Amino acid sequence: MTHRLVALARITLCSLLLAPLLAQAAEISTEQIKRGEYLARAADCIACHTVPHGGKPFAGGYGIASPLGTIYSSNITPSTTAGIGSYTLQDFDNALRKGIRKDGAHLYPAMPYTAYARLQPEDVEALYAYLMHGVAPVDIQPQRTRLPFPFNIRLSMAVWNSLFLDPRVFQPEQGKSDQYNRGRYLVDALEHCSACHTPRNMMMAERSDAPFAGGQLGAWYAPNITSDPVSGVGGWSQDELVQYLKTGHVPGKAAAAGPMAEAVSDSLSHLTDADLQAMATYIKTLAPIRNTAETKPAYAWGEAAHDDATLRGTSGVTQSSHATSPAELFSANCATCHQPSGMGTADNAYPSLTNNTALGHANPSNLIAVILNGVDRPLPDGRHVFMPGFGPDSMVNPLSDADIAALANYALKQFGNQNVHVTTEDVATSRKGGEAPLLAKVPRVLPIVLVVFALLLILGSWRSVRQRNLRRAVRPSPTPRAP
Amino acid sequence: MRANDHSADVIVIGSGVAGALVAHDLSAAGISVLMLEAGPHLERWRIVENYRNGANKDDNQQPYPASKHAPHPEYKPDNDYLILKGPDAKAYASQYLRVVGGTTWHWAASCWRFLPNDFHMKQVYGVGRDWGISYDDLEPWYYKAELELGVSGPNDGTDLGSPRKQNYPMDHLPLSYNDQRFSDVLNANGFRLVSEPVARNSRPYDERPTCCGNNNCMPICPIAAMYSGIVHVLKAERAGTRLLTNAVVYRLEVDAHDNIIAALYKDPEGNSHRVTGKYFVLAANALESAKILLMSNTDKFANGLANSSDQVGRNLMDHPGTGVTFLANEPLWPGRGPMELTSIVDHRDGDFRREWASKKLHLNNQSQTRKATLKALSMGLAGKKLDEEIRYRASHTVNINSFHDILPDPDNRLVLSDQKDALGLPRMEITYKIGDYTKRSAEHTHESYAKIAQLFGGTEVTFDDAFAPNNHLMGSVIMGSNPKDSVVDGDCRAHDHANLYLATSGVMASAGSVNCTLTIAALSLRIADTLKRQLGHVTT
Repeated sequence: MTHRLVALARITLCSLLLAPLLAQAAEISTEQIKRGEYLARAADCIACHTVPHGGKPFAGGYGIASPLGTIYSSNITPSTTAGIGSYTLQDFDNALRKGIRKDGAHLYPAMPYTAYARLQPEDVEALYAYLMHGVAPVDIQPQRTRLPFPFNIRLSMAVWNSLFLDPRVFQPEQGKSDQYNRGRYLVDALEHCSACHTPRNMMMAERSDAPFAGGQLGAWYAPNITSDPVSGVGGWSQDELVQYLKTGHVPGKAAAAGPMAEAVSDSLSHLTDADLQAMATYIKTLAPIRNTAETKPAYAWGEAAHDDATLRGTSGVTQSSHATSPAELFSANCATCHQPSGMGTADNAYPSLTNNTALGHANPSNLIAVILNGVDRPLPDGRHVFMPGFGPDSMVNPLSDADIAALANYALKQFGNQNVHVTTEDVATSRKGGEAPLLAKVPRVLPIVLVVFALLLILGSWRSVRQRNLRRAVRPSPTPRAP
Repeated sequence: MRANDHSADVIVIGSGVAGALVAHDLSAAGISVLMLEAGPHLERWRIVENYRNGANKDDNQQPYPASKHAPHPEYKPDNDYLILKGPDAKAYASQYLRVVGGTTWHWAASCWRFLPNDFHMKQVYGVGRDWGISYDDLEPWYYKAELELGVSGPNDGTDLGSPRKQNYPMDHLPLSYNDQRFSDVLNANGFRLVSEPVARNSRPYDERPTCCGNNNCMPICPIAAMYSGIVHVLKAERAGTRLLTNAVVYRLEVDAHDNIIAALYKDPEGNSHRVTGKYFVLAANALESAKILLMSNTDKFANGLANSSDQVGRNLMDHPGTGVTFLANEPLWPGRGPMELTSIVDHRDGDFRREWASKKLHLNNQSQTRKATLKALSMGLAGKKLDEEIRYRASHTVNINSFHDILPDPDNRLVLSDQKDALGLPRMEITYKIGDYTKRSAEHTHESYAKIAQLFGGTEVTFDDAFAPNNHLMGSVIMGSNPKDSVVDGDCRAHDHANLYLATSGVMASAGSVNCTLTIAALSLRIADTLKRQLGHVTT
């Protein structure tokens, strides 16, 4: 609420200040700015372009820990010195949809321009209007991104783009409902869901053969959201999907943490119910992809624990920092909120650990990451879901890798997927931000990378020639992208 | 330069809320800090399990088993750590912890500011002593302390007598039914009951969760919704402070200019070690800090360090407490939410303080189920009748306690005993007497209790008039502007040693009527600021 009021006040103030300018550019209306603000919410620009906890809105500087190194987001306020104040609409479109800055340099695809490429021209205009006129300029240059060689050669992205950037604007699918098409536009373009939920190939591009089949995102796992009833969300009702997108929590199914909690807090919870319904409609149609390692839905595991009574008195009163059993660690660190049974509270303020996807996937990343980092999910209605982490920054009780692995395995065995086991090394890896993809292991595989890089250059130039030829051939009627 | 195990810019002795705040603030400013803690590090989860496994749920010390090399008082059974003497010896049977993080592991988390007049008792009311500083000197540091500890309080304009410039960092928690009903009845009948400021989260704050009402703030908050000194120990270490545990400091060394040059400590095996620094902050609680000064005697300082005034170890104060328990004629259901939420504040200040002690009364919101069960069992009940009796007593029991002011009296003192502890260090001998100034107030409190019991049609009214300790240890290294009758100056610096600061409630020159922790925190942050200036670091 406060958020919206502030934003509204900002618009009003800016409108007043910029009244003469607006008069000149008569086509920019308050309604357009407001629409742009909503679209910016839906595109979740603020998540990356604002430093969390007190950074100036859209002033950039947020360090996105990519596997290749930290990429700092740019200032997209209308500052002419540090932001995009001097961008024309065309410059803005180039950055947003093609990943090319005004100075000609290429952006890294941490900026999801491969998704934004689908944005329709009127939405690009509205976003431009909002960022230029609804946002306060901040004249502070964010920290520069300096990736190690060879990734510091931004021109390499031109090659990458020629391979992986589909430049076509979204076209509604004939014969499908407006709700489906709206949902598809939101999912594929604005909310850029596939950026996380589609696994990436060796070149860090989304795998076209496995859309929405689940991707690793550093320490976190963005699950399979295809309509598969076992590996995906086929067992979720439309309303459950909507509730999850709106609040990040569906009792008996899942609770959002990590990057998904951010997406809910910063973006999804601000969308209209109609848009969330549209997204759910589309998500329910995503072609099913099964992970054969999974035998039942991630939300369908677990039973209540009964260990508390057996613990009392067994380890006495001691100074020891060694637990006598994983059950003792669970009792001391988790049971206070999640209850000794692990079933959470009746009002679901503290969620049940059974029937909880964090413990049910074949990939245990989210369980480990939640124990290490906690959950932080403020909502626009004032509710703030917060679970403290037990990692190195914990203000409650930092735990060792071994203790966290013991806790995770206790939880998996009792409340989750019993086929999954966590090692101390898994916890150490999560602590470091997850397993680095092959491409990031440059020092060790530099020769291979250079060969691949050279091949790509050749392949890329061949393909871009081919695409040019193709475009020439199919013009003037571009075919809509296959679903 | 980072601290190593042997030296640092600043040596902090004690890792409770006072020492940890100083260490964190200095480390964050790039100053090297070595912090020595006599006791061990305990995991929060272990303390939680100790509480659940222990038999004496009322004993706040039980989940923190004392170390042989660094004992702290234990009473069930009594480990006889403090040798208590005098007519009111039992009223100084204090609880404190020698573990990393200190005694705020178990506290009510009440974070009251002192009243302006508390700093000028002699000047305003002709009794007690003046601090040498005023409320206004401390006001900005009170606020900084509230931010650091995370204090929630009534942001609805409630005047608690200590003028504020900013709101509390968090709004107060909703009152429990018990507190709301009690407050409604009392405020309608001439009492003034207010929601009290507490270092307890009413929303996620500082990476710690919201209070969910486990109702065992004492002896341990299992989820760290309540602030404890361990928070700033963790922060200090992450900012660069080097922490040595199980390091029992037993002597400070002085040079020819009376500056402190080293601290000597013993490890659990009794081996001695020596650490050096430019500045020393003694933050080892009111009793242990005084003890270290007394143990550091030399030929020149025959009575111990910082003691040319002969006031080290004297003027011991606490908040002598009395209580009442009765059964109300309506169910109030204590036990929902934290253990304490409200206070009766109509006798915290006024001209009466010339004659008798100010005080604060507070409603106990601790679950009464356990006591109700013990009582019902002792009545020989069984079956349904037992259940009914437990339910009735658990829901109807009202328990009120109090803090009374006490005047600083040089005869209330701690001296070193001839008896030694396991490391061969002298034990402490404490003499304590509660004067008529406090007793007159306690008689008035008794009448208030009776009135309140009447308002609730109280039955089985049981007065607990024998003074009980409240563990607010003050006065032992008392502050004052005259070096002849006080230990530290207004900056908490020892009059006798230019580089020695005392970050402890021991400096407090009046007890007032409220918990002393927020004042310790404010004074400690002010010490850190002074040290940053001394060491040439820019202050904010």
